[in-house]
Amino acid sequence: MTNKYYEFFCPVKVIAGKAALEHIPYELTGMAAKRPMIVTDKGVRAAGLLEPVIAACEESGLEITTIYDDVPPDSSTTVVRDIAGIYRQEKCDSIIAVGGGSAIDTGKAVNILVSEGGDDIAKYSGAGVLKHPLKPFFVVPTTAGTGSEVTSVAVITDEAKGVKLPFTSSFLLPNAAIIDPRMTLTLPPHITAATAMDAMTHATEAFTCMAKNPLSDAYATAAIKKISQSLLQVMDNPKDSDGRLELAQASTMAGIAFSNSMVGLVHALGHSTGAICHLPHGLCMSLYLPYALEYNLETIREPLGELLLYLEGPEVFAATPASRRAEASISAIRKLRDALYKRCQLPRTLKETGKVTEAQLDHIAEMALDDGSIMFNPKEVTLEDARAVLRRAWA
Amino acid sequence: MLAKRIQPMVFQARRLYVELMFQVMGRALQAVSEVDEKVQNEARALPDGFLFEMMVMPAGSKLIVEHTGQGRFRYHGDKAPRPVDLSIQFKHIAHAFLVLSFQEKTSVAFANDRMLVDGDISYAVRMTRVLNRLESFILPKLVAKRAVKEYPADLHLPEKLISAARIYLKVATNFVETVRA
Ligand SMILES: [Fe+2]
Repeated sequence: MTNKYYEFFCPVKVIAGKAALEHIPYELTGMAAKRPMIVTDKGVRAAGLLEPVIAACEESGLEITTIYDDVPPDSSTTVVRDIAGIYRQEKCDSIIAVGGGSAIDTGKAVNILVSEGGDDIAKYSGAGVLKHPLKPFFVVPTTAGTGSEVTSVAVITDEAKGVKLPFTSSFLLPNAAIIDPRMTLTLPPHITAATAMDAMTHATEAFTCMAKNPLSDAYATAAIKKISQSLLQVMDNPKDSDGRLELAQASTMAGIAFSNSMVGLVHALGHSTGAICHLPHGLCMSLYLPYALEYNLETIREPLGELLLYLEGPEVFAATPASRRAEASISAIRKLRDALYKRCQLPRTLKETGKVTEAQLDHIAEMALDDGSIMFNPKEVTLEDARAVLRRAWA
Repeated sequence: MLAKRIQPMVFQARRLYVELMFQVMGRALQAVSEVDEKVQNEARALPDGFLFEMMVMPAGSKLIVEHTGQGRFRYHGDKAPRPVDLSIQFKHIAHAFLVLSFQEKTSVAFANDRMLVDGDISYAVRMTRVLNRLESFILPKLVAKRAVKEYPADLHLPEKLISAARIYLKVATNFVETVRA
């Protein structure tokens, strides 16, 4: 399943490791930015994660001009407009998004408004609408999973119309992503587990779906190796900052992989389950991953078998006959899920979530067939197929 | 302009082929939507009056169909009566040619960044399934396997429609061989 043609693009500067936050002032001045605005949410502020960011800037004589800390979990067009208003009023000249997927997406959308002008973000929805670079934009992820710091997409809800507006443009990519282990050190166990499984799914789908390519493959395999080696260690010892950094880097690498080669059935099912049953995205990923791989098995036998090396290491890989490696990869993922269930009760089936009813499965299946991710799944998924996968994932 | 002087015939022929194939597909979409239940079921989820366009960037050949309701499509040639709702745009005529001469699957073309979607992605996913279904109608089994991810086991369509479309396919196959040579 090699591709004769591919594209790969990631212009985001990655600033990662110990004392990475202290590089922010240098990066800002390097772009002539003097009045940064922080966009974040209450949870991040309450966890005390803003202090090291602010301290790092102030120590270098760079004042944070203003802080917006009220980004909701599902950001809306109104929130984006309000933040853009504050940005203009305070005469800011750059944005630092600190948080998870929602804060980062909000930062991207605010950057469109403050760079392009106007109050109506819906006007810029769609692909390829933006034609110019935007204001200096930096992202400090506080979860290790979404990979939003390296994707060119943002999703914002239009509350009045009740629809989710997608924005796609390479200009949405931040100038730099700052990966500092301090930012994920206090993540609670079930969020650590779910977000890491989101990253694991990004890498696995990037490596096994239709748009895989040699460059994204390299990022995907490296990410899988890091997650396999570090996730359980971090679960057992949450203050392990080396392990935290490994997971954070893996998340960024998996993000680079999937933003260049897309995802498949796991995400299609996960998106619709999230919309219908309001389950967290990472949890859905962990839940569906083995079932979707089993469904795709015969089309992805070769790449999936290769992943065993990164999931289980060279000894297991060498000891497993080539013809059994794809199945062994799925078993490795199941094993990891069992271990996570033991440590934080991360559900492995729809029934275990306690938030999905059997009657909802048909609706989930129908909605998944309309999801953009399904286009890149290596096997063409029919409604019956989607239903069958859901039934297997039920219990 | 330089390239034009080097291979004028090939370029001219490729453009004509893409234009012709858009016409074939437009008519076939309309015809298939009148007889095939699967296509109708897919199309029914589209709003009535929904306009779908396939085009070659920057302003090349076009194919426009409208969903007129109850899962039926109407072919509008290359003129849209109003702004379209969904546009699938090939970045270059060479990419359109790869797909329309069934050398590259529609889904692979998407995966390979050969084309862009302007509009609601969920409608694009739906139209890709309709196009897959259409391709498996028009093409003999062997070629269709290359053009779509999976060849459906349940194709029943009037022989007349299939044979008409296959005449074009013959043109297509000959053409691909000529251009490749
Ligand atoms: Fe994800």
